[in-house]
Amino acid sequence: MSTRTGRTLRRLVAVSPPPWGRLTGAIVLAVAASAASVGLMAGSGALVDKAATRPGLGAIAGLLAAVEVVAFLRAPLRYAERLVAHDAGLRALTRWRVWLFDRLEPLLPAPLQRWRSGDLARRLIADVDSLQDLYLRGLGPLVAAVVAGVAAVVVEGVLVPGAAALLGVCLLVAMLGAPAVAWSGRQSEEDRAAAGALSADLVDLVHGAAELVAFGRSADQLERIEQRAARLARAARRRSRALGAAGALVGLCAGVATAGVLALGVHAVADRHLEPIMLAVLPLVSLGAFEVVPPLAAAVAGLSELQASGRRLLQLADQEPPVRDPEHPRSAPSGATEVTLDEVRLRYRPEHRPALDGVSLVLAPGSRTALVGPSGSGKTSVLHALLRFWPLESGCIELGGTPVDQLAQRSVRAQFATVVEDGHLFAGTIADNLRLARPDATDADIDTALGAAQLDDWVAELPLGLDTPVGEHGSRLSGGQRQRIALARALLADRPVLLLDEPGGGLDPPSADRLLTDVLAAAAERTVLVISHHLGGTEMFDTVAELSAGRLVSLRPGAR
Amino acid sequence: MADPLARRLGAAPPARHLAGSVLLGVAQSATVVVQAVLVATVIQRVLRAGATLNQIEPQLAGLGAAIAGRGFLGWAAEWLAQRSTTALSTALRRELVRRMLALGPSWLAGERAGELALSATTGVDAVGLYYGRYLPQLVVGALAPLGVLAWVGTTDWISLLILIGMVAAVPPTMVVFGRRAADATARQWRRLSSLSARLLELIQGLPTLRAFGRVDYGRREVAEATDSLRRATVRTLRVALLSSLSLELLAGLGTGLVAMVLGLRLLDGRLTLSVALAVLLVSPEVFLPLRRAAAEFHASAEGRTAGRRVAAVLAVDAVPKPTGVGTLPDPRRAALFLDAVTVSYPDRSTPALAPLTLRVEPGQRVGLVGPSGSGKSSALGAVAGLVPLTSGRVLLGEVDLATVEAEQRHRLFSWVPQRPHLFATTLGENIRLGDPDADEEAVARALVAAGLDELVSRLPRGLDTEVGERGTTLSSGERHRVAIARAILHDGPIVLLDEPGGPLDPADRRALTQSLAGWLEGRTVIVAAHHLDLVPDLDEVVDLGASALAVTSP
Repeated sequence: MSTRTGRTLRRLVAVSPPPWGRLTGAIVLAVAASAASVGLMAGSGALVDKAATRPGLGAIAGLLAAVEVVAFLRAPLRYAERLVAHDAGLRALTRWRVWLFDRLEPLLPAPLQRWRSGDLARRLIADVDSLQDLYLRGLGPLVAAVVAGVAAVVVEGVLVPGAAALLGVCLLVAMLGAPAVAWSGRQSEEDRAAAGALSADLVDLVHGAAELVAFGRSADQLERIEQRAARLARAARRRSRALGAAGALVGLCAGVATAGVLALGVHAVADRHLEPIMLAVLPLVSLGAFEVVPPLAAAVAGLSELQASGRRLLQLADQEPPVRDPEHPRSAPSGATEVTLDEVRLRYRPEHRPALDGVSLVLAPGSRTALVGPSGSGKTSVLHALLRFWPLESGCIELGGTPVDQLAQRSVRAQFATVVEDGHLFAGTIADNLRLARPDATDADIDTALGAAQLDDWVAELPLGLDTPVGEHGSRLSGGQRQRIALARALLADRPVLLLDEPGGGLDPPSADRLLTDVLAAAAERTVLVISHHLGGTEMFDTVAELSAGRLVSLRPGAR
Repeated sequence: MADPLARRLGAAPPARHLAGSVLLGVAQSATVVVQAVLVATVIQRVLRAGATLNQIEPQLAGLGAAIAGRGFLGWAAEWLAQRSTTALSTALRRELVRRMLALGPSWLAGERAGELALSATTGVDAVGLYYGRYLPQLVVGALAPLGVLAWVGTTDWISLLILIGMVAAVPPTMVVFGRRAADATARQWRRLSSLSARLLELIQGLPTLRAFGRVDYGRREVAEATDSLRRATVRTLRVALLSSLSLELLAGLGTGLVAMVLGLRLLDGRLTLSVALAVLLVSPEVFLPLRRAAAEFHASAEGRTAGRRVAAVLAVDAVPKPTGVGTLPDPRRAALFLDAVTVSYPDRSTPALAPLTLRVEPGQRVGLVGPSGSGKSSALGAVAGLVPLTSGRVLLGEVDLATVEAEQRHRLFSWVPQRPHLFATTLGENIRLGDPDADEEAVARALVAAGLDELVSRLPRGLDTEVGERGTTLSSGERHRVAIARAILHDGPIVLLDEPGGPLDPADRRALTQSLAGWLEGRTVIVAAHHLDLVPDLDEVVDLGASALAVTSP
């Protein structure tokens, strides 16, 4: 096994250590089930041997009872083992998932990055899920195999010491050799890349069919898909060859050991060192001992996929966050403060045009500012800069005279209450979504916020009131209701500056205007920045700033 | 095989693969019988006849060989299963992908896209596993126990009766528990997809949580969702594992019962030790193939579902291929003529394009306007041969384009779609889609005309930059420019522009208009747009919204 694999696995184990209690339970049960399996055969063998000497029913009654008990116990033991092992494997997932979520937190939002939220979610789901095998199919079977193997050697040793030595050597060869052979057939990095590329090519074929046909390139794409598939087929053949060879190696070792221990047993019987009725036990224990080896080989073969998932997760987790807190953050200004942007320049990727290029703007306490411009002009980037989601390339943003990069991110964000485009709601009730902004809000606070967002009548008419579920992404509500709940949430947060990104986006113009009027009325003394690609009138604002291609092209007083 | 799924797929592994797999499976069971007989013989001879080691050497050697042989037979079985699985899924994927292309872009578009891509990847693999592994295992599971039972019958019929009793109990328990397991598994799938949705929502909502300083809420939700799924999974497994529990229980009790009855009969001296031992050692093998087949049960359900989806695609009738008799006239002299062209999509009640008749002389510039949904894109697609016509014809001179070989036809048109697709490869390869043989100079010219030269010079790896899945690392404006560069490289005499300049801001549009002017010079142009500013000097504007044939002069 390569050191890289080892390092990946060690880091994963450090994040979520094995749930030892349950894992031990699973291992004990696995060993007990294996013992019952071997015991059933060995016990029955001894029973038959003894009965053949016709000693009378009384003499075999004990053995008879023991055989029936293990015959009955084996299946429930196996069943319990599987349940406990799965539980242990799944328990470890929680920590990995929370850890990854924490690592993703400083990376989002991530405009123009290589990954999209769908891809990130897939990693958080599928890649983390596959890690359960590390304990379920990796560590558990390994320990169980070793314990069962040692037990078998001990049993043989009690009967015939030479047999123990032979079985021990053969088992050791099988336990080391079979996993090594299986590991040799693992998927290489390139094979795995080809699997991803095949899937991407097929997606491209479906989504890009029009382009392929229009430019006469279908045959090329088919050819490419065939080549990737052929490569994967070769990898699958290699893997299967290795697994098959591992199985054959186990068979070979089992054959030598079983025939050998039987021969040694026969010899011992002749020398009167072994009770004849125990002769059948020797080969049966040996056969049973080798049954734990194949799962071991399969677990090792699966380790390479597991390690690939793990590496993908670590890669993501090791991403440098765009913004870091200063070492000694200054304390944040309190109360209503002035927000100033001075020659702000922001760029998402070095090779791209700046998203903001020398933007200067002052948000005086209590002022109302509108920021307008076509899509792609950099309006949302202003939000990213203010909330410290993305660092500035040059220029400065100050809160009450303190540069934001000298403050903790938390305390910067605590100045702003934000309503993002289409107001992101979470599955849960209306109350859950509101309390998100302020977990300790009293019912009176919530009523006030609802009233300000003009939602109080609507909520009062709902049969479940505040406990009405909103559905995923608020899908059970209309666009206007979602926006208003997001607004009530922002008001409830009770922060000095209100940032509104496209309020009324997706609504028809009259409803959007009504919403905006209500928002500004509810904002009371707060500073307000409204970002919109389209604005009905300017009479509600002190200042109207216009962005185009990241530059402030006009800054004129509103009619307020 | 008379398997209806195989018939619909038009593919199944060759019968000899199946026969081979079954033969190997049965042979593996046979080695167990040989093993048992040899162990029993050795013990019988040593205990009853006092045989010495020398006298039983052949039996011991045979025993070792039988055990090792089982391993090697397993190797061969694995090799064969793998071969037939890969062969089948490769063939099926080829067939499916060809059919998808034959059905054309308009059939592939829309909601099916994701599902189709899934069918062509994991779907065909699941079908391969079904035929390559599950089915042979199932046949072995039915045949091998019969063979073993037959051997037991020739040796000891009382044990045979006990084992038959146990095996007979298998099907009913499998039906009872299998159905409950299937229900539980279906519920589990729903839970998994709701966990996925929940996590996706939390990831998408992370900026909101950060803005409110409530990442702790997200963290708690992630932990809670994972934990509740764990509890549900274990509950599901409790039911789903019942079928294997019952199978193992029957196997264990069967062996235990056989051992007990053998022991009691040995006491009376009605049985020899070697027979008793051999029967005892063989009895677990009656259940082993069944347990293996049951373990693959999941693969069977998945394979069947995937197979039905693949079969459904293969069953769709493809658009008839062009007859290939027409020879194209010179597009610089012959007019393009749309003769009462209509387009309808099967899933929509109203036609996407009402009858359109339009004559475009060589070198003319025609604009198509109209509200969204009036059929502008469909009209361009119909001309380019990307959308099948419901009725009418598209002619170049006197030649119906439907009779022209696809390759010839596509050389006529430089098409810029409204939402271009970028392939998950390099920027350069995406541009060369228009002409894979273009030299560097031609590429450079296309980059300048499409306004991409500045971006490429900024990129550290230039044209070798990977653009990511669907070109996500580029902005929509940059993707649009790539589509224009492709069209320029393709160098078709007739240019079809769908909403050109759509994602660009006014200043960039003006710049693009100027840089494209030279390339458009002398070409026939049909442009569909809300804003017609990108192509100046239109000769004719057709309003598809007002009425099918309303022609207004600009």
